[in-house]
Amino acid sequence: MEWESDDKELKAAGAEPLPGGRRGLRIHGWEIECRKLFILNSLHLQRWEKELQTTHLPEMVFGDNCLVLKHVNSGTKFFFNAFDALVSWKHEALPPVEVPAAAKWKFRSKPLQQVVLDYDYTFTTPYCGSETVESNVECGSAIPEEGSSCIQWEDCKEKIDLVALASKEPILFYDEIILYEDELADNGISLLTVKVRVMPSGWFLLLRFWLRVDGVLMRLRDTRLHCLFGEHNKSSILRESCWRETTFQALSSKGYPSDAAAYSDPSIIADRLPIVMQKTQKLHVGVSCKQYVKDIPLMLLHIVIQALLLTGFPL
Amino acid sequence: MSDLDRQIEQLKRCEPLKESEVKALCMKAMEILVEESNVQRVDAPVTICGDIHGQFYDMKELFKVGGDCPKTNYLFLGDFVDRGFYSVETFLLLLALKVRYPDRITLIRGNHESRQITQVYGFYDECLRKYGSVNVWRYCTDIFDYLSLSALIENKIFSVHGGLSPTISTLDQIRTIDRKQEVPHEGAMCDLLWSDPEDIVDGWGLSPRGAGFLFGGSVVTSFNHTNNIDYICRAHQLVMEGYKWMFNNQIVTVWSAPNYCYRCGNVAAILELDENLTKQFRVFEAAPQESRGAPAKKPPPDYFL
Repeated sequence: MEWESDDKELKAAGAEPLPGGRRGLRIHGWEIECRKLFILNSLHLQRWEKELQTTHLPEMVFGDNCLVLKHVNSGTKFFFNAFDALVSWKHEALPPVEVPAAAKWKFRSKPLQQVVLDYDYTFTTPYCGSETVESNVECGSAIPEEGSSCIQWEDCKEKIDLVALASKEPILFYDEIILYEDELADNGISLLTVKVRVMPSGWFLLLRFWLRVDGVLMRLRDTRLHCLFGEHNKSSILRESCWRETTFQALSSKGYPSDAAAYSDPSIIADRLPIVMQKTQKLHVGVSCKQYVKDIPLMLLHIVIQALLLTGFPL
Repeated sequence: MSDLDRQIEQLKRCEPLKESEVKALCMKAMEILVEESNVQRVDAPVTICGDIHGQFYDMKELFKVGGDCPKTNYLFLGDFVDRGFYSVETFLLLLALKVRYPDRITLIRGNHESRQITQVYGFYDECLRKYGSVNVWRYCTDIFDYLSLSALIENKIFSVHGGLSPTISTLDQIRTIDRKQEVPHEGAMCDLLWSDPEDIVDGWGLSPRGAGFLFGGSVVTSFNHTNNIDYICRAHQLVMEGYKWMFNNQIVTVWSAPNYCYRCGNVAAILELDENLTKQFRVFEAAPQESRGAPAKKPPPDYFL
């Protein structure tokens, strides 16, 4: 059964549910929406294969699922979907991981015509979400097109305050959305999900890629976004990426169990996997975009003057 | 009413049997299964079913659509257990029906009917949870070793869980396999339960995992021709539409777990063949939430980090 918001708590926090049966809410200038549907049918899968130029996609692609968090005034929009994640998978193109049985298979007599497929069947993706700034009244048409956003993440030393997030503030909205999943033909699991929760103080989300190739390796690629609501609908957002990876062999040499059944829930065993990449970035939302638009005429004037000066035009 | 009939009624209500009853049932089933061929002959009319994966209430939908056993003659292509919530009840009901009506239901082995796979994907944990010991899991996995590997309907339709093997070109070669063992990691028996048809290869392909064969259209054509069969019917792969033909109707995948893992939203199918082998696919959806027994409770807030 789906999690449901409490009307009283929503009201007290100045939030309202989205109209028209959409799943989500509006709070502090943000519109947060989840869409949850089913896996793609054969026809859509074929279309995706064509667009992504691949012959293989995960067994379960929840292609219509998405999470969207939009800051209405600035048009800043974060969204999470399977298609963009698979574009990143295609781009990273890691070499395939051999399963334990592969060692025995090397000694099998081979059929005469044999093609060895070599795509990354684990669907490992570096995806950390999609973002854009949408044109709207506030931002004007000065923003050229979707994608060429004025979103500028800055590396920072701050960390997401997990202690504060662990406090039992009321949860106004919660959802977990699967983007894609593959059972690796019963050799483990590859799963990309995004979880979101909205509290009176801000929103928090976890995008998680979880891979377990039974008997071989595990990969956990987490991206956490924490947005603290500020005054006048301004917000600041921290984004932390943390990638972990280890082999079953390395775990067993440290005395940990090496059977796949002991590693079904990544949140329980994450600490056993060493960190291979970690970074934190910061973004302010609600000021920069408008400021940027206002500054454009001034900047243009400056460029024109500089150009004229360079050509020796007497000003 | 005999003990067996009473047990079938109990299982149909999704109530598991006592450990001692499971033991006795498995002993009887073993006597029947040991006599079956690796290529078990099946008469038409028959209804062919694909993966069930412990989705008990959805299997009840299947029986609603296909008719009750023994009135309908059934062939199940394996993967009875794992992933779903009711692998114990699902497998025991099918096994009890097999013991009660041995000529009206055929069960063949899927790759999940294995000790190793069930320890990772749910059946082992479910047995431990429901019985407090692993004895029932032991009885059931011992029975798995006796399940046949394939079926042949009226000498015209070859049925198997996964697919073909490069080491097998004739049905007689399957008949010589010593099947009474855990599913091996390689070899003909492994291939029959694990391999997949694949569009992008014509002959044989090797999975990027380094283990697992893929076979193309020409392999199927030559197998069907050599063995004088019309087509192959297999399961093993999720199909959103419930069934899927490949290679010019030479092989069909049948998938019988609707809304797989309770979230995929796919429909399921069974393939009905009449006495003249005329085909009719019956497509069905998952059982409605309210008929599933388990109370729908609002989950507590998740303070994930």
